[in-house]
Amino acid sequence: MGWGAPAGSPFAGPGAGAASAAAGLPFAGIPPELAERVQGVLATEPVHPDPAVRFEAVDPGERFTLRGYLRPHRAALLGALVLVVVETVAMQAGPLLTKIAIDRGIAMGDTSILVAVCAAYLGSILCNALAGAARLAVTARIGEQLMEELRLRVFSHLQRLSMDFYTGERAGRLMTRMTSDIDALSVLFQDGLVSLAVQGLTLVVITAILFQLDPTLATVTVAAIVPAMVVLTWWFRGASDRAYGSVRDRIAEVLSDLQENLSGIRVVTASNRRAQNRVHHRNVIGDHLDANLTTARIGAVYGPGSEALGIVAQAVVLGVGGHMVLRGELTIGELTAFVLYLTAFFAPIQQLVQLYNTYQQGRAAIAKLDDLLQTPPTVAERPGAAVLPPVEGSIELDHVSFGYGQAGEVLHDVTLHVAPGETIALVGPTGAGKSTIAKLIGRFYDPTGGTVRIDGVDIRTVTLASLRSQLGVVPQEAFLFHGTIRDNVAFARPDAPDADVLEACAAVGLEPLLRRLPDGLDSTVHERGASLSAGERQLLALARAFLARPRVLVLDEATSNLDLRSEAAIEQALDALLEGRTAIVIAHRLATARRADRIAVIDGGGIAELGTHDELVAAGARYASLYATWARHAEPS
Amino acid sequence: MGPALLDEPTSRFEPVVEVARYPAPIHDVDPDAAKGWIARLLPIVLARPAVLAASLAAALVAMVANVAAPAVTQQAIDRALVEQTEPLAQYLWMLAGLGVVRGTMAMAYRYGLFALAYRIEADLRQIVYQRLMAQSFSFFDRVQSGQLISRANSDIRSVQMLLAFAPLMAISLLSFFVAVAFMLTIHVGLTVAAIVALPGVYVLGVGLRNQIFPLSWIVQSRTAELATLVDESINGVRVVKSFAAEQQQLDRLARLARRLRWSNVAVADARARRAPIMENLPRVGLALVLLYGGWLVTEGVLQVGAIVAFSAYVVMLQTPFRLLGFFLMMAQRAKASAERIFEVLDEEVAITDPPDALVLDGAAGDIALDDVTFGYDDDHLVLRGCTLHVSPGETVAIVGRTGSGKSTIARLLARFYDVDAGAVRLDGHDVRALSLPSLRAAVGIVLDEPFLFSTTIHDNIAFSRPGATRAEVEAAARDAVAHDFIEALPDGYDTVVGERGSTLSGGQRQRIAIARALLASPPVLVLDDATSAIDAEVEEQILDALARRSSGRTTIVIAHRLSTIALAGRVVLLDGGAVVASGTHRDLLASEPRYAEVLAHLEEDI
Repeated sequence: MGWGAPAGSPFAGPGAGAASAAAGLPFAGIPPELAERVQGVLATEPVHPDPAVRFEAVDPGERFTLRGYLRPHRAALLGALVLVVVETVAMQAGPLLTKIAIDRGIAMGDTSILVAVCAAYLGSILCNALAGAARLAVTARIGEQLMEELRLRVFSHLQRLSMDFYTGERAGRLMTRMTSDIDALSVLFQDGLVSLAVQGLTLVVITAILFQLDPTLATVTVAAIVPAMVVLTWWFRGASDRAYGSVRDRIAEVLSDLQENLSGIRVVTASNRRAQNRVHHRNVIGDHLDANLTTARIGAVYGPGSEALGIVAQAVVLGVGGHMVLRGELTIGELTAFVLYLTAFFAPIQQLVQLYNTYQQGRAAIAKLDDLLQTPPTVAERPGAAVLPPVEGSIELDHVSFGYGQAGEVLHDVTLHVAPGETIALVGPTGAGKSTIAKLIGRFYDPTGGTVRIDGVDIRTVTLASLRSQLGVVPQEAFLFHGTIRDNVAFARPDAPDADVLEACAAVGLEPLLRRLPDGLDSTVHERGASLSAGERQLLALARAFLARPRVLVLDEATSNLDLRSEAAIEQALDALLEGRTAIVIAHRLATARRADRIAVIDGGGIAELGTHDELVAAGARYASLYATWARHAEPS
Repeated sequence: MGPALLDEPTSRFEPVVEVARYPAPIHDVDPDAAKGWIARLLPIVLARPAVLAASLAAALVAMVANVAAPAVTQQAIDRALVEQTEPLAQYLWMLAGLGVVRGTMAMAYRYGLFALAYRIEADLRQIVYQRLMAQSFSFFDRVQSGQLISRANSDIRSVQMLLAFAPLMAISLLSFFVAVAFMLTIHVGLTVAAIVALPGVYVLGVGLRNQIFPLSWIVQSRTAELATLVDESINGVRVVKSFAAEQQQLDRLARLARRLRWSNVAVADARARRAPIMENLPRVGLALVLLYGGWLVTEGVLQVGAIVAFSAYVVMLQTPFRLLGFFLMMAQRAKASAERIFEVLDEEVAITDPPDALVLDGAAGDIALDDVTFGYDDDHLVLRGCTLHVSPGETVAIVGRTGSGKSTIARLLARFYDVDAGAVRLDGHDVRALSLPSLRAAVGIVLDEPFLFSTTIHDNIAFSRPGATRAEVEAAARDAVAHDFIEALPDGYDTVVGERGSTLSGGQRQRIAIARALLASPPVLVLDDATSAIDAEVEEQILDALARRSSGRTTIVIAHRLSTIALAGRVVLLDGGAVVASGTHRDLLASEPRYAEVLAHLEEDI
């Protein structure tokens, strides 16, 4: 059995683990039985040119509307419309040709008419097929180009937005702008607008033909089908949307419950929770079943209901039309055409009602995307901002105050000067403002009062890229990107040669990890780095900063949450990293803090104490007592 | 009462506070791995035979009504309108009647068959869940949970789709033959002309799917890749901004978007090449019917109603050809999926209750390891002849280098794994002889990685004792020095945490995990490096509370920190997979050079 075996295992599907956006369900990966065919298709893919899109820190600020979005493609859209007209007319010629064959050919006994009609029929088939093929190809090209433009535009803007935009649950919702909202627009364009044209035109063409054949019977036909079909489909649309929405929610519940039970299996087992969780999972599955049964019920009414309606409508048309034939008001051929056109009415009505839904979703998506694109970044680059020249690394906080939104001030009138090459540690209770100082220095936020300067330059006057490329911030949670170790270490410098990447890894002590992993630098890190320990992830983040070689380093509790062994490794890495750089180290552990040149105790939104370790211990105040408690535990009694 | 439900027995050590609102599955899949996948699924497919039989019967009636309708139309035109030998009304009533019969029967069978398939899906989900949760830790060490989830998701779904579709396919094929029979009674040659193009629909359909199917997986995987990049750029926004990597991320996205665009256009092109022809092929039959049928009518062989009826049949007949290729592909996938599911179900459970398991009630907490040998894999032993005794009420710290087997002892004690040789005993009983729930109720373990579930803090703490009152939960949280920070959260104990909830620091998570274990109040408590992220001061308070509240409880502490070790009454030094020394912290410092060496290592770390 292939469990756990890396190759040939049924689990070894490529691309597994990525999150599928639309339903929030995991993408299971390409099934192994298809892998060969997928490879075959991929072999036909041309090499795409390198992207030539520039990231602009300043927003062009155009509004986003459906019309503005389609306008550049007017000519192509018009061409598609012509194709749709040809396609529809060719398609609906059939029953009319049947009528001619019956009334002129059969009734008159004229076989040459029959041959001509048959030839015309085959011609209409050819026209429809060709126009249809061309229309599919054209609209897909327009649509996909639009989608690509939109993806780039929205993503650029997401990247432009400031940190305050990315807090808490907002991240999840931002994600849907790039996934389900853009998908909704794609559906609106590809299925919506095109099928609006096709189906709308079909209805118009058929109705016109019917009224031209016989207005009375046309009225009867339309009256027998259209109202009932519209009502039935309208009901179905609402009911099935709700039902499928509920199925989606509940399958997500089933899978997330399963996911938690599997990830937390050790706790579940250790807590004797298997029986309780089994019952809970059964209930969650049962709720999903109920939602599924609702969809089955709705589908069972709609499909057969519209089929039955079709047969009954046929009886009505045959009845009314038959009596007209008997009275000589209608030919058999005309009646036949009516009976044949009858069935052609169903699909357009069904699709047009569905379309209303697509249109609404598309509209909502456009509104949300427009809203996002109109949101200005709070930390904006000034137009014509200068490029910050290579800095020496002095940092100056000049009477800086800051508060997040309405929540009151976190920092109040803080003044701090860090000399080039100096390491300063910030210590203090949680929420005192240590991380805020770090964020202000990287200009993730702008101070509400005062100025932050690097080498004497107000950082608000320079471009964000030139500021941040000279600054390395290592956040508390080491974030790993999907990809290899090399991709992650070389994140800031993707073109860095292997030698540099290896040097960075060596400098922070990642060599044991590289030795342990079978593929070394090319090993993939999975699921946000789940296969690496917290310490290794943190070392990787440090290696990333090391390779970027910034002049100024900000370490935001980069050494917390670690076991002591990893912490020791990281302390060594830090020594390598801080060498010759200006550094702000936010320290959770005093072991880290006491190595700094100076220590600032942050409390109550300001600097409570500032000095070297020895000075502060001698001063006998806050730091001294913190240190005493810590030291008591650290040293063996 | 129906047949016995497939449910595992529960013991009083596994309280269930939630009321089961749905029944357990009635039948399990066939355990015989030698049988084919359909045969193995048969017990759950046939679990509701009456519904299945009634649905199939309704489907047959509905199908015949559907196929009969064009024939009635033909009779109406020929007899009532052309020959005018019969009144029109009777045909109209027949048609309306057929419509009603068709509608009601189709509603019945559609609902019946889909509901059955959904119930089978739900049964399968429960069976897979039960089997997975019964697995031992060694299984989860080998298999990634993400892969199991995808089996539970797409594989079960693909089997369900086939099960829902198979009867419809069968009916559709049957309707083809019935309709052809109707047509043959009208005219053999015209039947041939009408259906001659239909096999082309099947051939083109298969070709289209062969092209589109791999492409659509490529689209899916690229969509997922793009979503992953966006997800990472949002969640890793600090890193992106810190390194001014916006241009680089935008380039990455542009590449993915271009690749996604290519694959989407490729899908459309594949469709454009075949779909329009496929949709038009049946109409070739219509053209031929018009020519040949028209000629037959002028020759007096047929009447004009036949042309109308044949036109309707051609439209009806293309459905099975369209569906067949799709069905065969679906069947292929469902087979592969079913085999993947069976692979999970057939996996043997390594650790189970012995048949005559001893239920241990109110354990005293006497722990003994007798010459235990154990390794997680065959090549590499972690414990080699490890012998250890811990008396009831004793607090023992286990000290050793990384990899010396400290955590392994905890895992063997709760029988997460079975020893390779020797025995682990609780109150003198080999743990392998005890009922698992009673053993695990007696041994509480706080693991080194504090896992929180996506629910409230209250429920996370009450995880070990569902139904515990708020007061009990608060008391446990106080002992774990977690009460104050929990109260400070926006919703206090009702704050939702876990993967999708608000984030807590590592130390806070550990304190909640400790509260969880304390609430269960087990006679034996094992803290497996459970305080690594907790401040020294807070840790001291927790250990104080433990000592105060748990006189009589056997406590085993696995720790790196001297402050923790120093609090234990006895220290056990583990080296090379065996206990090499035991005594108080001071005695060992004085007498055991290896102890000082290990501590020196820890000191270096600090």
